[in-house]
Amino acid sequence: MQGFPGGLPDLAHLQATMNAIEHACSLIQMHMNPAEAESVIASLHSSHMPYQTCRFIIETSKVPNARFQAAGAIGDAAIREWGILIDENKRSLIIFCLQYVMEHASAPDAYVQSKVSAVAARLLKRGWLEFPEAEKAAILFEVKQSILGNHGSGPQFVGINFVESLVSEFSPSTSSDLGLPREFHEQCQSFLEMNYLKEFYCWAQAALLSVSNKILEHPTSVPEEKVCSAALRLMFQILNWDFKHTANEPDNSHSRINTLTSGIRHDAVMLKKFDHSLVKPGPTWNDVLISSGHTSWLLNFYATLREKCSYDTLWIDSPIAVSARQLIVQLCSLAGAVFPSDNGETQIKHIALILSAIIQWIDPPDVISASIQSGQSESEFIDGCHALLSMASLTSAMLFDNLLTSVRPYGTIHVLSSLTSEVVKILTVNQDEEETWSADALDILLETWSVTLGQMDGDKTILPHDRVFAASSLFNTIVESHLKAAADSALDENDDTEYFHASVSKRDERLASYALIARAAADMTVPFLVRLFSERFSLLSQRISGNESTRTLEELYWLLLITGHVLTDSGEGETALVPEALQAGFLNVVEAVHHPVVALSWSIIQFSRQCLDTEMRSMYFSPRLMEAVIWFLARWVATYLLPLDTRKEQISTTYHDDGSQHESQFSRKILLTFAVEHNQVDFVLDSVVRISAATLTLYPGENELQALTCQKLLAALVRHKQISVRLLLLDSWRDLARAFANERALFSVNARIQRSLAETLVCAASFIKDSEASAQYLRDLLGPIVACLVDNSSRNDLKAVAQQADAIYMVSCLLERLRGAARATQPRTQKALFEMGHSMMNPLLTLLEAYKNQSAVVYLILKFVVDFVDGQVVYLGAKETTILINFCLRLLQIYSCNNIGKISLSLSTSLRSEAQVEKYKDLRALLQLLTNICSKDLVDFSSVGDDENTTDISEVIYVGLHIVTPLISLDLLKYPKLSRDYFALVSHMLEVYPEKVAQLNKDAFAHVIGTLDFGIQHQDIDVFEKCLSAVNALASYHFKQRSAGKEGLNAQTVESQGSNGKLQESITSHFLRLLMQLLLFEDFRMELAGSAADALLPLLLCEQDLYQRLVQELLERQPIPALKSRLASAFHSLTSSNQLSSSLNRPNRQRFRKNLHEFLVEVSGFMRIK
Amino acid sequence: MSDEEHHFESKADAGASKTYPQQAGTIRKNGYIVIKGRPCKVVEVSTSKTGKHGHAKCHFVGIDIFTAKKLEDIVPSSHNCDVPHVNRTDYQLIDISEDGFVSLLTENGNTKDDLRLPTDDSLLAQIKDGFAEGKDLVVSVMSAMGEEQICSLKDIGPK
Repeated sequence: MQGFPGGLPDLAHLQATMNAIEHACSLIQMHMNPAEAESVIASLHSSHMPYQTCRFIIETSKVPNARFQAAGAIGDAAIREWGILIDENKRSLIIFCLQYVMEHASAPDAYVQSKVSAVAARLLKRGWLEFPEAEKAAILFEVKQSILGNHGSGPQFVGINFVESLVSEFSPSTSSDLGLPREFHEQCQSFLEMNYLKEFYCWAQAALLSVSNKILEHPTSVPEEKVCSAALRLMFQILNWDFKHTANEPDNSHSRINTLTSGIRHDAVMLKKFDHSLVKPGPTWNDVLISSGHTSWLLNFYATLREKCSYDTLWIDSPIAVSARQLIVQLCSLAGAVFPSDNGETQIKHIALILSAIIQWIDPPDVISASIQSGQSESEFIDGCHALLSMASLTSAMLFDNLLTSVRPYGTIHVLSSLTSEVVKILTVNQDEEETWSADALDILLETWSVTLGQMDGDKTILPHDRVFAASSLFNTIVESHLKAAADSALDENDDTEYFHASVSKRDERLASYALIARAAADMTVPFLVRLFSERFSLLSQRISGNESTRTLEELYWLLLITGHVLTDSGEGETALVPEALQAGFLNVVEAVHHPVVALSWSIIQFSRQCLDTEMRSMYFSPRLMEAVIWFLARWVATYLLPLDTRKEQISTTYHDDGSQHESQFSRKILLTFAVEHNQVDFVLDSVVRISAATLTLYPGENELQALTCQKLLAALVRHKQISVRLLLLDSWRDLARAFANERALFSVNARIQRSLAETLVCAASFIKDSEASAQYLRDLLGPIVACLVDNSSRNDLKAVAQQADAIYMVSCLLERLRGAARATQPRTQKALFEMGHSMMNPLLTLLEAYKNQSAVVYLILKFVVDFVDGQVVYLGAKETTILINFCLRLLQIYSCNNIGKISLSLSTSLRSEAQVEKYKDLRALLQLLTNICSKDLVDFSSVGDDENTTDISEVIYVGLHIVTPLISLDLLKYPKLSRDYFALVSHMLEVYPEKVAQLNKDAFAHVIGTLDFGIQHQDIDVFEKCLSAVNALASYHFKQRSAGKEGLNAQTVESQGSNGKLQESITSHFLRLLMQLLLFEDFRMELAGSAADALLPLLLCEQDLYQRLVQELLERQPIPALKSRLASAFHSLTSSNQLSSSLNRPNRQRFRKNLHEFLVEVSGFMRIK
Repeated sequence: MSDEEHHFESKADAGASKTYPQQAGTIRKNGYIVIKGRPCKVVEVSTSKTGKHGHAKCHFVGIDIFTAKKLEDIVPSSHNCDVPHVNRTDYQLIDISEDGFVSLLTENGNTKDDLRLPTDDSLLAQIKDGFAEGKDLVVSVMSAMGEEQICSLKDIGPK
């Protein structure tokens, strides 16, 4: 072949290489010595001009894997050596690949063919912007001819396959690495989209047409089916393209009007959840996709084929059926300007057309689900659900419902409802089988409901009565099926906790979707729930027992969960609001007692209170049921007790826009105020606190329940001022606080839960207006705890007593409580808490010494100090700061004195790694402590007073760094969290106090530099960036010092791996070398170019001579003259273009950033040879 | 104020009891526990319920602190478990005798001669080499339930 690159080696040599490669491939296949075999293959990939050899292997080898590897080697080598290949070479490589696949179209081992064709596509893309238009056109013309079927079905398939690789190569998300900047890929993408994509689609269409008749007429399968499914796949892939050029988008101001009149939504963006997205190819695609009747042809084609193959149950999963359905579903998501602007008419027709065809896949649901359960494939059913979801997201609820009217006597929502019912029934019956098709289908269908119902909240369209009825009857089915499943599973012994935890969020997600359906028909579903609850409550009041009661408990458990979801939103981290659907509903209700939501709430609260009765509790309130009760109460209290609207007293002013809303006002008002009326708030709060106290004392060892109580329910109470203020007046709350401070009972709660309890109790104090009262409350609460620690730490026999297990437990509990209190620090309680902390300082140091061998206690002390400093430091005045900082210093000294140089010895590796983990946690705590102290530099709320006494924070950090650095080994830095904390601290230190760091002693300084070295070569992008900014700070400091005629960092040197072994170097030259190496030869990420430029500029300025020497070295090492001159000019413009001056001011840094960016774009193509 | 209640109950001589009862639900990872009569460090705790509406139970995985054997136990979380008193004492190393015993200096100036060198090779080498080089070594001795073992080593000598 003309122009094929590389000289022709002799035959013997070719043969030898081929044998070596074949041998290596067979070794890999047999899993023998894979490392060596891989290195043989890698050497082919990286060898100079391997094209003739590869060609020889591809054409002659009998081992398919060897041909595969050879093809890959052509691709890799050509991309690498692109610069030295002439145009003739490049073209001939592409043509060779294409000819090869055309000639071997029907050969076995199709993966070799598709690899060769992928290589051709990759090379064509690499040359796309430099090849003349005619050349590309010539290549593509050949491809087109074969796709149209002019050379038979083999080449037809190959052609489609090639275009498929080409499209995936041009789509940025799937393109392979070319070592070129992003812009190149973007240019290629937009070029293909503008000029070829539609054409490719038409080719695929033509190919499809050319084979469809043959497929439909032949009673058995024919080879053309392969072409057909490939063409369908290509079309699907093209419609999956991320279209950028969609001109004539209707702007948003119009879209709202459009939504109202036509029912087509232009705001639809979701579907991400199931990997579908909207397809917006733009107006130029109208002729191909819409006006040509393409869709109906495709639907007919599928239907006919389905009919023809109905005898074959496997056909539904055949490639041709799968790809056809994929394409159909994708066509459902078609949107935007591809439709003419006729007020959505065409689009509605388009969607209705598809729906009328796919309705056969899903309707009637019971028949289809029965056939799936008897072995039929479910994929068509699932695809049908996907199509429904796409349609629902593009249409308003009304339009969605009406789409079906031409083919069915009922609406789409009716179908959706019966579909969902069916799927829920099947799912709840086979609950124990994991990952069944019904679970997948249910997820899709529930998402469809969410999409359909979710929009109703916005535009307030109220569904016609029968649609509401559909939602309500669906909810009834859901509840009944789940209640049955709950009752049936009540006696199952296997409560696999891990499975339970993994699926909790999944379960909640599903329950939330059910709740959405329930709210759509709230007038019917809430009374339904009321009835279900009262049935079960009355059963319990008859004192049933045994299995019957267990079944009822499990039903109640599930009912509480679903009711919680129906009545409240999860509102994690947000202010919980009463759901709008519930506020807007219940128009006929005029009295609170008749409001179903009110009735439901009171009945559950009354029921919950029964757990305070000893007999009822021991009979019915199992830990599991209590968990549901606590969970429900937490959500209910946050939403209904004092709804946000009543808190702001805006209720009468918010909703009076029009008449219909005015009507709903009454029931709305009832819903928002029913708890406030008749002083029910205090009653509810009192009940909640007493129930909480009961779970903490009467359910020993039930950690989950107690955690839920402290972290969810009690935490919800102290979140809002109005609630907290009332809470503080309650006897039950005071009793709880008193018990916490003075009684032993609460020590039997897990220490971590005691921490949360302390946090909530202290949190409430910040709502007491009177500062003296607030301080008194805290003293009552924490005084005994502090006193106990103080007393005990001053005991003479501390050393002996402290090590007793019960003493350790007691100290741990007390420390956890203090930590909880410290975490609840608020501006109003800060002073009182500081007093408490202050009195603890010496005792804590004593305890740290006493417990130096009890790592668990040491850790708790450190964590308390971390949280204490975090809460306090920004408020402290000069005097308090000094106290705090001195305390931290002594803490650090004691810790380091006990831990430096200690070698833990242990018999087993598992215990040793445990010890390692403990050390790691300690160090993280220390780093957090230092970082928290540093934050005083950034945020300071203290009243500015006398400046003379201020402690130099840098001094602490300086000492702290001296103490901490020897403990941090490079091994420990491999833990990502620790290394992030560490480098955050180091970069902060270097930026703010470079002079302090420069004064570190030799060892400590070398250690810091060593860790920076490590960090720069680290994978983590955050760490790398922090290191760069640290180097920047270091070098800038040095440069400024030197410019000012001072010594700077000259005193510090570092051992660096130079070209001739170890040599003593200055810090700056060391980092200059390192950074240059990184930028030029390693896989450097462009998004870091900015930070790298910032670090490099001061280094350059400090080490001009070394830089020139390095550049010379690099140029001399470059063998190819053309590249040498490119490199030289790139280096030249790096330092001279844009009027770069030798200063470190901001504009100059900006200029250098720009220069470096251009430099990297220029050299990255040929320097990073891998 | 009845803060008296929070005082440690143990007295200095309470060492007579080797263990202390603690509710299973409050024992955390990294704590200590007695499993099958052996003092263990807890490396894993998980909870489950006995039946859906039963009570919680804790599943402990512990590693024997002396023999490094892995032991497991399941206890209802409201019940008490035995927690061993684990003590660590530092002694200065003054001699290594030929028969594999070490001689340690106690705080009140006496010597303690009843401890064997550890059997682990690397540990043994570190102690022997360090001692041979004339470093001032402090060893920590871990004791629990009547057993003792050297568990860590620290060089306090001048550099």
